[in-house]
Amino acid sequence: MTPEKQDEQIDLLQGTLDLLILKAVSLGPLHGYGVLLRIQQLSREELVIQQGSLYPALYRLEHQGAIGSEWGESENNRRAKYYKLTRFGRERLAGETQKWNRMAGIIGDILRATPEEA
Amino acid sequence: MGRLRVFSERMKGLFAQSRANREFEDELEEHLQLLTDRFVSQGLSPREAASAARRQFGNGALLQQRQREARTFLFLSSLWRDVCFGARMLRKHRGSTVAVVLALALGIGMNACIFTFVNALLLRPLAGFKAPGEMREVWEHSRNANGIHSFMPLTYPDYVFFRDHARSFSGILGYDGDPEGIIWNRSGHGEVLHGQLVSGNAFSVAGVGVAIGRSFTPADDQPNNPQPLVILRNNFWKQKLGGDPGILGKAMMLNGTNYTIIGVAQPGFTGFQVAMAPDFWTTLSMEEQLIHDPGRLTSRNTNWLLTEGRLAAGQSTKSAQAEISLLAREIELAHPDTNKAMDDVLYSFAPVPGPFRGYVTAFTGMLMVVFALVLVIACANAASLLMVKASGRAREMAVRSALGAGRGRLIRQMTVETLLLALIAGCAAVLLSYWTSHLLLNLIPTSLPISIELPLDWRVLVFTFLVALITGVVFGVTPALRGTRVDPAGVIKTEAHSGGYRKSRLRTVIMIGEIAVCALLLFSATLCVRSLLNAGSIDPGFDTQNIAVATLDAGSLGYSDAKIETFYRELDRHIRALPGVVSSSYVNHLPLDASREQTSVIDESLVATLPHGIPVDVFRVEPGYFKTMGISIVGGRDFVQSELDRKSKVIVVNTAMAARLWPGQNPIGKLVKVGDAKEQSEVIGVVKAGNYRSLGEDPIPVLFRVEMPSLRVLVVHTSKDPGALLDAVQRQVQIVDPNMAATQVQTIGSFMSLPMFAARTTGLLLGASGILALVLTWIGLFGVISFAVSERTREIGVRMALGAGRGDVMRLIMRQGLYVTSVGLVIGIGAALASARLLSALLYGIRPDDPATVVIVSAGMAAVAVLACHIPARRAVRVNPVVALRYE
Repeated sequence: MTPEKQDEQIDLLQGTLDLLILKAVSLGPLHGYGVLLRIQQLSREELVIQQGSLYPALYRLEHQGAIGSEWGESENNRRAKYYKLTRFGRERLAGETQKWNRMAGIIGDILRATPEEA
Repeated sequence: MGRLRVFSERMKGLFAQSRANREFEDELEEHLQLLTDRFVSQGLSPREAASAARRQFGNGALLQQRQREARTFLFLSSLWRDVCFGARMLRKHRGSTVAVVLALALGIGMNACIFTFVNALLLRPLAGFKAPGEMREVWEHSRNANGIHSFMPLTYPDYVFFRDHARSFSGILGYDGDPEGIIWNRSGHGEVLHGQLVSGNAFSVAGVGVAIGRSFTPADDQPNNPQPLVILRNNFWKQKLGGDPGILGKAMMLNGTNYTIIGVAQPGFTGFQVAMAPDFWTTLSMEEQLIHDPGRLTSRNTNWLLTEGRLAAGQSTKSAQAEISLLAREIELAHPDTNKAMDDVLYSFAPVPGPFRGYVTAFTGMLMVVFALVLVIACANAASLLMVKASGRAREMAVRSALGAGRGRLIRQMTVETLLLALIAGCAAVLLSYWTSHLLLNLIPTSLPISIELPLDWRVLVFTFLVALITGVVFGVTPALRGTRVDPAGVIKTEAHSGGYRKSRLRTVIMIGEIAVCALLLFSATLCVRSLLNAGSIDPGFDTQNIAVATLDAGSLGYSDAKIETFYRELDRHIRALPGVVSSSYVNHLPLDASREQTSVIDESLVATLPHGIPVDVFRVEPGYFKTMGISIVGGRDFVQSELDRKSKVIVVNTAMAARLWPGQNPIGKLVKVGDAKEQSEVIGVVKAGNYRSLGEDPIPVLFRVEMPSLRVLVVHTSKDPGALLDAVQRQVQIVDPNMAATQVQTIGSFMSLPMFAARTTGLLLGASGILALVLTWIGLFGVISFAVSERTREIGVRMALGAGRGDVMRLIMRQGLYVTSVGLVIGIGAALASARLLSALLYGIRPDDPATVVIVSAGMAAVAVLACHIPARRAVRVNPVVALRYE
C-alpha cells in the first residue's frame, strides 16, 4: 500500500468491481473489510479497493439480491455484518465469469494481430 | 427483474430508516476498528494507528450520505420530513392555523354544498338504472314557441309510433310525468298514495329488477285489454305493508278499482324522475280507471308522457336524433292538424329533465360564482396571514439556506405547510357541506312531494379536495416565493427585527382586492335580498293569512255526478259548522299553482277589431269563493247557488279582462262567447285583478265560471289560526265519506311558500354569502392593521417622543385602514354597478343601480373598517415611547 502502488491502480469499471466482490464472497462469508483484504490477497497485493467504492458496490449487490447479509461476530468479538453469496449471486458470478473470459479472449486475439494478418 | 427488485428494496428502505442508519454506522465503525488493529499489528502506537486508519478510510460521512441516497428514494423521505415539520409548525402557531383553516373551510365548504346539489340534480344518474349513459330522453318541441314552454311531453299515439318504429333504440319507455294522488282504500279507510303510470316495457328497458314477484311486460299494457296490476316501491312495501312477501297476488283497492300486486321493485329504485318517489306503478292502459281522464290513450292533443329510450348497440345520439326527426316529420305530415310544427328532440339522461337543465345550471352556476368569490376573500386572508408569518421566519430560512438548502427546497417546505393547511380545511369543508346541504333540504316546503337523496358521493369528495388543493396552491404560492427570497448573510448579521416598517405593497394590494370583492358581493347580495323582500310583500290579490286549503277528488272513487255533488255539498255544510270558520267555497285550482286552463273569448260586437277574441285564463269557482279568498268585487255581484245548480251561462271577469275588451265601459251585462260554446255567456260581476301565474306579473285577463270538475280545492276562511283547522278539515272529510281522503291539506301560507321557494332560498344563500364575506374581510383588515401597528411600534414611539398627541397617532393608523377601505369600495362598487345589468332580470321592484343600496353598502363597510382599525389604533396609542424606542 505504498503511494506509488496506489498511483498504478488499475482503473476498475463498476461492473468489474461487482464481479470481484462476488468472487471474493463466493469463497466464504466476509465482512466489508474482509472483502477488501481478500481481493488484495487474491490479486497478490496488486489491487487495492477504496472503501469509497466498496460500500456502494456492496449495497448495490445486496439490493439486486446477488449477496445476502447477516450480523455475526468479527475476529475481535465485536458485531460485524457478514455478506455471503446467494443462489442468484452464484449464477450471476458464473455467467459474468464466462462473459469476461470470452471478452478477454476476443480482445486478446485482436491485440495479438500482427501487421501481416491485418 | 433486477430493476424491479431494486425498486421494491428502495420502497422498503423508506421505513426503519433510523435503524438502517445505525447499522451502517456500526458497520463502518467496525471496519475502521479492524483497520486500526491492522496498523497496530504493524507496529504503530494505538493513537497513530487510529489516525492512520482514519486517513486511509476516507470520508465516512460522505459514505453514509451516499449509502442513504442509495438505500431509498431520498425525495420521498425528505418530503415526509417536511410534512412532519410542517405539522409541528402548524401546531405551534395554533391561533393562526385555526383562523386560516376556519376561513378556508367556510369558503370551500359552501362551494362543496352547492356542488352537492348540482351533483344530485344534474350529474348523478338515477338509482337502479342499468347503464344510464345509454338512455336518452325524448321531448316534443314546437317550432312555433320559444323558451322552455316550447318543450312538451309526448301524446300516447306519438309515443306508440316512436316505440314501434325507432330502430336506433332498443326500447323506448314512457311514463306519466305527474304522479297522481290516489286514494287507497285500506279496509274501509281512505289513505292518499302517489302512483305513477308507466309503459309495459318500462322496467325492462330501464334494466330495473324486482325484489319479489315479477315486473311488467308489454302484454300487460294492451290498451284494448288493460290489466289492473301494480308494482310497489320497495320502501313503501317495507314501511306500509311490513315487508311481507305474502302480499304477492293480493289485491289493493285504488281509486275504486281492485289491483293485483305482482311485484315489489328492487331496493333503492325510486322511479323514473328525479326527486319523485311514487308508492306504486301501474300500466299506462289503466289510465282511465286510475285517473279518470278518458281519451288520453287516443287523444293527439294531450301531451302527458315523458319518454326515455335506450340507444341500440352502435347508435350514437346523432344517428338516433336523425331518425327521430325523420319519424317526427312523418307524424307531422300524417296529422297536420294536431302535430303541426312539432319536432322531437333528444336529450341525454339526467335526473333533471332536459329542457329544465338550462335553468338549473344557470341558477346553481350563479350560486357557485357567488361562493367562489367568498372563497377568494378567504384565500386572500390566508395569503396575507401566511406572508406575515413568513416574514417572521426570515432567520429560519436564512439558516437553512446557509446550510445548503436550495431555493427550491425552501419553497417546497413552505408549500408543504400550506398544502397541509388546505388539506385540513378540505376535511373540515366536507363535514360542513354535508351538514349545510342537509340543512338546506329542510327548507323545501313539505307540500312538495319531493325527496332528494344527498349521500356522500365520490364526486363531491373529489370536487372538495380538488378545490382545497387549488386553494392551497393559490394562496401558498406568493408567501412561498416571497418568504424564500433570502439574503442569508444580511439577515443573520442584523440582530434587529427590521430597521423600519417596510410597507408591503403586495399586502396592500391584496387587502384592497379583498375589500373590492367583498363590496361587490355585498352590493349584489343586498340588491337581491331587497328585491326578494319586495317580492315577498307583493299582494297576490287574495288573503294570504287566514285561509286553509285542501284538495279533493270525489271523482277518483268513480262516483256518479250526483253523488259527487252530494259529497261536496255535505262537506261544505260540515266545514261551515266548524268553530272559527267564516266562509268556505270551492275552486278547481288555486291561483299561482302549476295548473292552468286557457281559452279564448270573443265579443261578437267587437269582431272588427278583435276577430279572434282574446286569450284568457279560466278558473272554475263556486259561489262564495271571492268572499272566502278576500278578492274584492268591484262591480256587479258574485254567483248564486241557483246559477250553479242550473249551470247557467254566466261569468265573472277580472278588471284586466274588462279593460282589454271594454276599456272605459261597464262590463256588466256584456255578452261573450267562451271557447267552443254555442251560447253566449253574460258578465254578471267584475273582480280586482291579482296574480294568477306568478308573483309580480303583469295583469292577465281572467274569467270565472261555475261549471265545476270533480277535482276541487276546498278553501276555508277562518278568523282563527288556519293551522289549527287542518286536522278538523281532514276529520270532516272522513266523517262525510270514510272512503275519501283530502290531499295537500295546508294553510295558504305554506301553499304560498312554493312559489316563493326558489326566491327565498336564493335570498338566504346570498344573504349568508354577504355576511360571510363581511366577516372574513373584517378579520383580514383587523389582522393587517394589527400587524402594521406592531411593526411600526418604534416609529410611533419616535413620533410620540417628538410631540405627537394621541389623536395624531390614532389618525395615523386609521388613515391607513380607511385608505385601503375607500379604494377597495370604489373599485368594488364600480364593478358592481358595471355588472348590474346582469342582475336586472332577477330583480323585482328595484333598479340595478339603486342609490340606496350603494349608500347602505358603503356605510356598512366603512363601519366595519372603523371597527377593524379601532382596536389596533387604541393599542398604538397606549405605546409608551420610552419602551418603544428601546424596542428591537
